[in-house]
Amino acid sequence: MFIGSMKVQFLFCIAAALLVAAYGEEDDNDGARLLVAKLIHNKYLVENMDVIVKYTVYNTGNAAALEVEITDNSFDPDNFAHMSGELNARIDRVPPNTNVTHTVVVRPRKPGYFNFTSAEVLYRRKEDAPRLQVADSSEPGLAYFTSYKEYDKKFSSHVVDWAAFAVMTLPSLAIPFALWFSSKRKYEKLSRNTKKH
Amino acid sequence: MRNLPLLLLVALPAVILTMSPGSIPVVSAQEDDNDDIVDVEGEENSIVTDEEAEDEIVTASKDVITSILFTEPIHNPLSTLELPAGKLVEFLIGFTNKAEVDYIIETVNTSFRYPMDFNFYIQNFSTIAYNKVVKPNHEATLAYSFIPSDSFAGRPFGLNINLNYRDANGLSFNEAVFNETVQIIELDEGLDGETVFLYIFLAACVILTLVGGQQLLSSFGRKSRSTTRKATIELGTVNPNNVDYNWIPKETLNMINKSPKTPKQSPKQRKVKRSIGSDD
Repeated sequence: MFIGSMKVQFLFCIAAALLVAAYGEEDDNDGARLLVAKLIHNKYLVENMDVIVKYTVYNTGNAAALEVEITDNSFDPDNFAHMSGELNARIDRVPPNTNVTHTVVVRPRKPGYFNFTSAEVLYRRKEDAPRLQVADSSEPGLAYFTSYKEYDKKFSSHVVDWAAFAVMTLPSLAIPFALWFSSKRKYEKLSRNTKKH
Repeated sequence: MRNLPLLLLVALPAVILTMSPGSIPVVSAQEDDNDDIVDVEGEENSIVTDEEAEDEIVTASKDVITSILFTEPIHNPLSTLELPAGKLVEFLIGFTNKAEVDYIIETVNTSFRYPMDFNFYIQNFSTIAYNKVVKPNHEATLAYSFIPSDSFAGRPFGLNINLNYRDANGLSFNEAVFNETVQIIELDEGLDGETVFLYIFLAACVILTLVGGQQLLSSFGRKSRSTTRKATIELGTVNPNNVDYNWIPKETLNMINKSPKTPKQSPKQRKVKRSIGSDD
């Protein structure tokens, strides 16, 4: 009888241990889970013109992410002028099943190829999480900054060019008009004289 | 009294099971066990198990948690995913490394498959190499986008999103992050070229019928009006050319009246006159 009860106890012990283990694993799984997308919002990337970088933080977990800190060290000051938005942003709370966007505007200083790499995000999975979770955002990848000259050739309003065109077309319009106008005045004079008579 | 710890041991797991929302993994694990047992026992479908074994040469690592989120279009996980044809589809893949070693995310490839048989490929999208190192206890997000062809509109497809990665020891893994049937839908835009021209055609038809009707009506009206006029106004042959003499100065009129009415000449006579009178 004693041995039997011991056996049963042992079995229950194993069952309980298994369950606790399973629960513990589950425990590890829950909490906030962030997906961070980094997107370049420009159609044309041109030197010395604004590049809009958008960071979107999606929380797909079942708890709010706390102390979310987005840090982007990929825009070094030698190559980029920082225009607006924080490159080191902090969002206190991202509730579950929501998203938060953060935008930064930078200007590339010189034309050429540039590899947009990921931003780093630190956050707390739960309020009592022992350590900060490190997450990398997605990478927009390799891009090419065209020079301003090249861009201007395609997209400027060409005011000077049109003015030059106008000046150049002026003689071919003005000379016939002058001829016509002088003859017209001459005939008007004549007709006035005849009327007087 | 000796039964008290035993009772506790029974009660505690039951409480945990009922309280915790994540009791599903436990159940699924048990189910997996059952499946294994069934596979071992039932050897009559050994071919199937062999195939499965072949497929499972590379599988997901136990230390990696992946997740997927469609950001374009926004997708409700309870319903089947509907992708608009010809529009950009974007999704994010989350990758969490819970192991003690680095993991390297190599590629992501996406394909449309025949929904009845997922081994039958219909379209492969680009395999994108990320080559991203994920350190232990770190997370990474990958972005991927593709455009389903316009010609696929209105058909279901099996969308398979495959993630290939390896650990620092060189062991390769492969995980289907998404493997479900999706519906490609056609977006009905407000202004479609076809419908615009249809409306123009309809408008033209309406205008044509209006013009035709107006013509018909006016012709009827004219017929009746002309008959009445003929009855009332009798002009006779006094002024056959409809010349308004009020405008002509009196002198001219007198001149016309004075001049003897030349008898109407026939061209022949005129010719004769001319030949006699002049030599032009």
